Amino acid sequence: MKTAQAGTLESMDCLVTVTEAQSGAGVKIDITGASAARFRTAMEKKITEVLSAMKVSDIEIQVQDNGALDIVLGARVEAAVKRLGGAA
Amino acid sequence: MAINAVGREIPDFIEGYGKTKLFQGAFARKPEGNIAGPKLRCVNSDRTDKRVSGVKEAIIASGLKSGMTVSFHHHMRNGDYVVNMVIDACAELGIKDLTLFPTALFGVHKHLIDHIKSGVITKIMGSVNGPIGQLVSEGGMDVPVVLRSHGGRPRAVMAGDVHIDVAFIAAPTADQYGNICGTQGPSACGSLGYAFTDAQYADCVVAITDNLQPFPVSPVSISQVYADYVVEVQSIGDPAGIVSGTTKVTRDPLRLLISRYASLLIEASPYFKDGISFQTGAGGIPLAVTAFMKQAMIKKGIKGSFGLGGITGYFVELLREGLVEKLMDVQSFDLDAVRSIGENPNHIEISADWYANPWNNGAAVNMLDVVILGATEVDTSFNANVNTEADGALLHGTGGHQDTAAGAKLTIIAQPLLRGRIPCVTDKVVTVTTPGEVVDAVVTEYGVTINPKRKDLIDACAAVKGLPVVSMEELAARAAKMSGPTDDIKMTDKIVGVVEWRDGTVIDVVRGLKK
Repeated sequence: MKTAQAGTLESMDCLVTVTEAQSGAGVKIDITGASAARFRTAMEKKITEVLSAMKVSDIEIQVQDNGALDIVLGARVEAAVKRLGGAA
Repeated sequence: MAINAVGREIPDFIEGYGKTKLFQGAFARKPEGNIAGPKLRCVNSDRTDKRVSGVKEAIIASGLKSGMTVSFHHHMRNGDYVVNMVIDACAELGIKDLTLFPTALFGVHKHLIDHIKSGVITKIMGSVNGPIGQLVSEGGMDVPVVLRSHGGRPRAVMAGDVHIDVAFIAAPTADQYGNICGTQGPSACGSLGYAFTDAQYADCVVAITDNLQPFPVSPVSISQVYADYVVEVQSIGDPAGIVSGTTKVTRDPLRLLISRYASLLIEASPYFKDGISFQTGAGGIPLAVTAFMKQAMIKKGIKGSFGLGGITGYFVELLREGLVEKLMDVQSFDLDAVRSIGENPNHIEISADWYANPWNNGAAVNMLDVVILGATEVDTSFNANVNTEADGALLHGTGGHQDTAAGAKLTIIAQPLLRGRIPCVTDKVVTVTTPGEVVDAVVTEYGVTINPKRKDLIDACAAVKGLPVVSMEELAARAAKMSGPTDDIKMTDKIVGVVEWRDGTVIDVVRGLKK
């Protein structure tokens, strides 16, 4: 399985690991770390928004969070997906 | 159920705690009756040596039985060997169902988790930091932990809310008759402030030392009149964990900005004049505030009267340079502080009772002008939470937070608006530790936010160039906008912690975490 990463484990950042999934497998999101207890809903929403804007429907996303704001999380997801596709 | 003065629902009776008294305001409750006391003892000249051969022998001699209360002080901090050593020995002697009454627990005490699971310890009254806090939050104990401030603890003992059966005192130096000194020996920790109440009010006092010296040792911190037994052991603590080598001012530009704003607020306040007294603790921001204040004091030719609380090398420097006249030290945080309290008569050891107890003839906190504190979060009524994390887990003791906030003329909570993604200003804090009525200002990287009841401070700050004044509503809105909407914490109905206000009323309860 091909994977790609973006981000760091610095404070207020997150490490996003994406793994390609078979067509029709859907989006699988796994979030752990600092903000997970209070911001899971908001984080899932942001990730879903970024993925649909990039027209990605089958992927596994793992987020190791260390307090990233939405804008950072979105950027990291976008970068990881682009790397998976060989764009960066 | 009834609602207390900070709007929290408090049950009339809590299993394992008893009948509750509702928090009714920071200064509402007045004491009645007399001070509760320990057993009278008699030692005559036929007993001139109180030594016993080991910890187990001391436990047997003390008469400690299952179901009793044992106390400890936390000046050995994360280097402490004594709590684990004593509880291990209790377990080996088949003693169970103990109530642990420490002044604080640290990461090193995660060793006790096995003893909690096996029923050696069934109740804890005292701050639970780290792994034990997590265990308690996850429902690992049948009865709730009782959290008291540094002043609330001696109050509880003197009022008879808590009776100590046996106090175990980690003694950096002691003689065979039980005179104890904190400033000498391989495990020197400086002040023994938190141990005084335990020595004075326990039915039996056991001094455990790794530096036995001929009678009489000096200087004496806790005298022979309190000690029942003395035990010599190999080591009472790891020096690396007892004191930190250095305490550092923050270098983070965000935190420096916050410190700068806090210092400007103090300089603008009516308290910034000769004789100012302050407490800043050991955190990065408070130390930086002290550094900025020091510059301002030198510039304006101002000298302070005393520094209070946990003392760091930074305060020792202020004392040496004559910028404060005295230090009143309940806990010496680093090697410089340990050395200073041993050598300098103007560096005074004070007990927790003297420091912060609301029910004596006046604690040191009453004489404080300014205190800089932190908090996990603050709500829009300035109520502060220091006991639980944003995820609801019970992780921190109350420390001197309540006492200094209630005592000081200017109570400042200084910290970044967000820690990670988690806002430090919210509509409703998870747990109320300290009521907003005794918090005067919150300082963040966006400026100072002043409690509306302190109109004088709002006016004073408005005149200061480069000091933004932000209303609480604006600050909360900004925090909410940056962090985004939060999910509710999933809590069980089980009460795992009771947070007492310093006068023994219940200000809040902490519920268990849903797995």
